[in-house]
Parts: sequence; C-alpha cells; structure tokens
Amino acid sequence: MANSVERRNLEPWQDPRAMPYVRIDHVTKKFNDIYAVDDVTLDIYQGEFFSLLGSSGCGKSTLLRLMAGLERPTAGRIYIDGMDVTDMPAYSRPVNMMFQSYALFPHMTVEQNVEFGLKQDRLSRQERAERVSDMLTLLQIGELRKRKPDQLSGGQRQRVALARTLAKHPKLLLLDEPLGALDKRLRESAQFELVNLQERIGITFVTVTHDQEEAMTMSTRIAVMDAGRILQVDTPTAIYEYPEYRFVADFIGLVNLFEGRVVENEGDQVVIESTVGRRLRLRDLRPHAIGAPVTVAIRPEKLSICETYQEDGVNQIKGVVEDIAYLGDVSIYRVRVSPAMLVEMTLTNVQPRTEQVLTWGQEVAMEWSPTSGVVLTE
Amino acid sequence: MHKLLAKLRLRDRHLARLVNIGAPYLWLGLFFLLPFAIVLHISLAETALAQPPYTSLWEWVDDGILQIRLNLQNFSTVFHDELYLAAFLNSLGVALVGTVLCLLIGYPMAYAIATAPERWRVVLLMLIILPFWTSFLIRVYAWISILKPNGLLNHLLMGLGVIDAPLTLLHTQTAIYIGVVYSYLPFMILPLYANLTRLDFSLLEAAADLGCRPFKAFLKVTLPLSLPGLVAGSMLVFIPVVGEFVIPDLLGGPDNLMIGNMLWTEFFGNKDWPLAAALTLSLLGLLVAPFVLMQRLERRIEGEPS
Repeated sequence: MANSVERRNLEPWQDPRAMPYVRIDHVTKKFNDIYAVDDVTLDIYQGEFFSLLGSSGCGKSTLLRLMAGLERPTAGRIYIDGMDVTDMPAYSRPVNMMFQSYALFPHMTVEQNVEFGLKQDRLSRQERAERVSDMLTLLQIGELRKRKPDQLSGGQRQRVALARTLAKHPKLLLLDEPLGALDKRLRESAQFELVNLQERIGITFVTVTHDQEEAMTMSTRIAVMDAGRILQVDTPTAIYEYPEYRFVADFIGLVNLFEGRVVENEGDQVVIESTVGRRLRLRDLRPHAIGAPVTVAIRPEKLSICETYQEDGVNQIKGVVEDIAYLGDVSIYRVRVSPAMLVEMTLTNVQPRTEQVLTWGQEVAMEWSPTSGVVLTE
Repeated sequence: MHKLLAKLRLRDRHLARLVNIGAPYLWLGLFFLLPFAIVLHISLAETALAQPPYTSLWEWVDDGILQIRLNLQNFSTVFHDELYLAAFLNSLGVALVGTVLCLLIGYPMAYAIATAPERWRVVLLMLIILPFWTSFLIRVYAWISILKPNGLLNHLLMGLGVIDAPLTLLHTQTAIYIGVVYSYLPFMILPLYANLTRLDFSLLEAAADLGCRPFKAFLKVTLPLSLPGLVAGSMLVFIPVVGEFVIPDLLGGPDNLMIGNMLWTEFFGNKDWPLAAALTLSLLGLLVAPFVLMQRLERRIEGEPS
C-alpha cells in the first residue's frame, strides 16, 4: 500500500485523479504561414522535471515561450495551476524562465540581477535582501555578489541566471537549453546539480533541450517533438525501450531499423519477414494484420554474438564487420548484413582491446531475444 | 654577429615604436597645438592697423632687453561686457534646449529604426543620411522660404484653416530651434542607432519575465544600456550648436545673438582679431568643461572592474 502511494507521487501522470499543473490544450502557434507549434496538447504535473526534446526548429522553444507568455498562441488555451493564463502577459505570469543566453543584465551586479525580479514584486528591502542572500547561498555564488556578468565564467553566469529566476519563487520554472552554453565536462556535473536542486526546492521544471542524453539523465518525462508536434510523451526508459514512432526510435540513441511485413500474428507473438531476408519474432500485444508493413527497432546493445546460427534461424543475422568504434567501456561494431544495410551491435569490452574476438572483415552471426525489439507501425 | 643583429633588430623595434607613438603626437602638435598657440598668442596681443592686424607680444628694446607685453584686456572685456555674457548664455541655452529636443525626437526614431525589420533598416537609415547630400547652407536657406511670413508653412496652416494671420516664425528663437533640430538630428540618431542595434532584446524579455512592465523595462534596461550612445549623440549635437553661426545668422533675429555671431562680427566686421581670439578661447573652455564631465559620467556608468 505504502509502495503504491509512493509510486503515485513519483508518477502523477499514472494517476487519473491527479490534476495537471500545466495544461496545454490544443495550442497552435503560427509565424506567418509556418506552424511552429501545431495543435499540441500536453499535461505536466507538479514537481515534474519535464523535458521538451527535439532537433532545432521543431517548435520546442516556441512551446516554452508560449508557457512563459513571451508568445501568444494562434489557437488553444494554456492553464497553469488551474488558471487560464492564455491572455496573461509575461510580466504577470507566476512563471519564470531561464534564457539560453542567460540574458543577465550587463549593467547590474550579480546581486542586482537577482534582486531585479523581487523589486518588481514590491517586496520590502529586508525581504529582498534575505531572498537574495538565500539564493546566492543556494547556488554557492555568494562571493560573486558584487561582480558584473562580464566578469563571470559560463558556469557562474548559469548559476546567476538560475538564482535570478528562482528568487521569485515561481510556480513553474522554464529552462531554455539550460546547459547548452557550458562545456561538456561542466555540463555533466551541472546536470546532476540541476536535478538535485529541483528535488530540493520542489518547483516544477520544464526544460528545452536538443541533447537526448541530457533529457534522459534529468527528466521525469520527455516529450519528443518534431515539426511542431509532440510525437511521444513518456519516461526516459519508456522512450528508449518502447518508442512509438520511427522518428523517436531514431532520435534517441542508436537503433537498427528492419523494414518488413507481418507474416504471422498469434497471441503476443508477431513474426515479420524482413527485407533483408530474415524472419524476426517479437513480443507485441497489439494485433497486427497479416501483410501489414512494419518497422522493427532493435537497440545495438540488445544484440549478442550467436553461437548456434542456422540458415533459417529466427532473430538471427549474419554479416561482415566493417567498422569498429572503440569507446573504452563498449565497442560499437558495424556489420554489413546486406549491400543496403549495416547493423550496429554494441558489446561491452570485458576483455582488453587486444584480446577481442571480433576484428575487421570477420564474419559474425548475431541474435537477439523476442522481447528486446519493438514493432513500429508509424 | 648574432648579438649585432639582435641589437639592430632591437633598434628597429624602438624606431617602429617611436613612429607609432610619434605620428599621432606630430599630427596633434601640427594641427591642434600649433594653431592653439597662435590663437592664444593673438588673444594676448593688441589690435593694430597693420598686416596682420595685431601687435607682436615681444619687442627688443635697446640694451639687450626683451620686452614682453601680455594684454589681458581682451579676456577682461569678454567676461565683463554683458553683450558677450548674454551671447554665451544664449548659445548654451540654445545648445541645451536643442540637444534635449534632438534627444526627445531622435531617441524614438533611433529605437524604431533599430527594431525595424532588417530590410527596412537600410532604407530608413538612408533617409536619415540623405539630407547630407545637399549643402548645409542651402538647406538652412530653404528653411527661410518655409518659415517666412508668406512662406510654405504659413500658406499651409492658413490653407488648412488652423490660423487666420501668418505667424512670425522667421528671425525668432523658435526658428533657431527648428534649424538646430533639423540640422543636428542625424548626429543624435546615428550614435543612438549604433548603440541600440547592439542591444540584446532578450534582456527585455527577461525583464518582462521577471515581472517588469514594458515602460519600466525600458527605463531599467534599455535606457541605462543605451547611455553611451545617448552621451555620444548629445555631445555631437551640443558642442557644435554652441558655436553655431549659420543658423542664428540666417534664421535668428537681432535679439538672438549667439557666440558664433559675435566671433564673426569681431573678426570680420570690427577686425578685432585679439578680442575674437579671446572669445574663441573662452568658448573652448566652455565646451571642454561639459565634455570632461560627460566622459567622467560615462566612465562611472560603465563601471570600473573592481
């Protein structure tokens, strides 16, 4: 019982009684004739760390700006905490945004930047001072309080920008590529810091990112966007293991896509005749019509070397190693299985590099289990 | 051998440095300090019916005695004659009001151009610069025919039924302000435009996001950040307007004397070069003071790194 309560708190989207904190209801935003956001409906729950993921120009930033009130929707409504904010200008919304460029005021010190939003709220001088020093302490930038933005490093600016947005105690914090301006090493530690911060203060975060790794590490849920539409909203695990669209499967991580047609469908088993001439058997609960065209997505790490290869074996395929990408912990083998298709297989480097079994030009047979692939119809 | 080469190279570098630093000083010396010294020299001399029309400052008297006569009378005249004082004050007043008017009209224009769509900016900027293609003198003359009692403006206003009798505009202080604003507006707009195009408009979005209404965001963010452009534009208008001669001469009346007119009269009318020189130096002193003040202000705003 206790377990199920805890689970509900962690995954409010599973609870039909939970009220969404942010509700985006059939929102469309057109710039001239271009649909930046195309009929998007989305619920975000309190305490979530929600990521909008997509390549540049997919509309994710526009969607964020719509929530901030920096853009007005062409159609649809936006609700925050049960209140219709669609026609509310940015300056009255209980929402704060951290800009990709951080947009720190260059003529103000760190302290003045953080205090700026508080002044607009007409808080007393004492309360402002308290909140400013709380924020500076929270983000460990107290010693920078008298500096101007151009005297700060990228990481320090990011903290100041965060402090400035959090100082207002927003109901919802929007972050546009929060780690985009940081270098790679800094970004990795900042990811964990951001998540820890969010858990500590309990504010709902919505971030925009094009970096799938970043989205996977930080988010409670991810919405994958393409061409102004949301394709799939799910937890990082579900997005990775059970993508619903080719685009999603392809966008997140590496994937092998086999085109084919359904030849058998009994119970939860589907057999697909693939265009490379092999039969694939997968577990899939949905009914599929015989002859329907489908795509099978199999992640490279789900493949293993096959010891019992048979000419008519199911979920087996053979080819020649063409490329090896040695990444230290794992190696990615690109195996030519037909003139038109390369299959990628990831193997953990248990043995040192010099003692590895596979090498260039070597023939290798691979296999996978029926539960490790996904049947995609779109 | 190597040592010799190194020594030579070192001397070359010294020479290059000398030329680099020396050239601007030479320029300043020849075209600023020397003329300045000549004017200073004239201002301390006395008028004479001679060519040039002033006395020499030094003279050899017998027994090897060098006699130097410094005549401070001119400066005394400049500072004690109420006519000059009035002209000085009038010049400062016209320059101040003119600068403020240019600022009030120029800032919104510069802002509009800076925020206009890219393809419009070039056109709008061209429109600002276009009048420079015509001679300044001709353009000020043109204002005479616009402002005179039976001029274009009065015709227009009477035709529209706004007024019954022609307004007296020409040869008034108003005409001077019109001339000043018309002539100097581009000098206000261009530096402001250059500054405002560099403004990061996401800062205004950030201000709005933090709860700041648009006008307050302008006061708190845009205005302070455009201060360098504002100061540059104001100086480009204020300084030349103080010494303006053509506009008050053509558009102003006999009561609207500015220091430029006085200078002209002393120099060409009265042939009193020493007094004209003294006036010039007083004017220079008057202009350098606000310049230094503004520069100090600017430095304080931009902030010294701590």
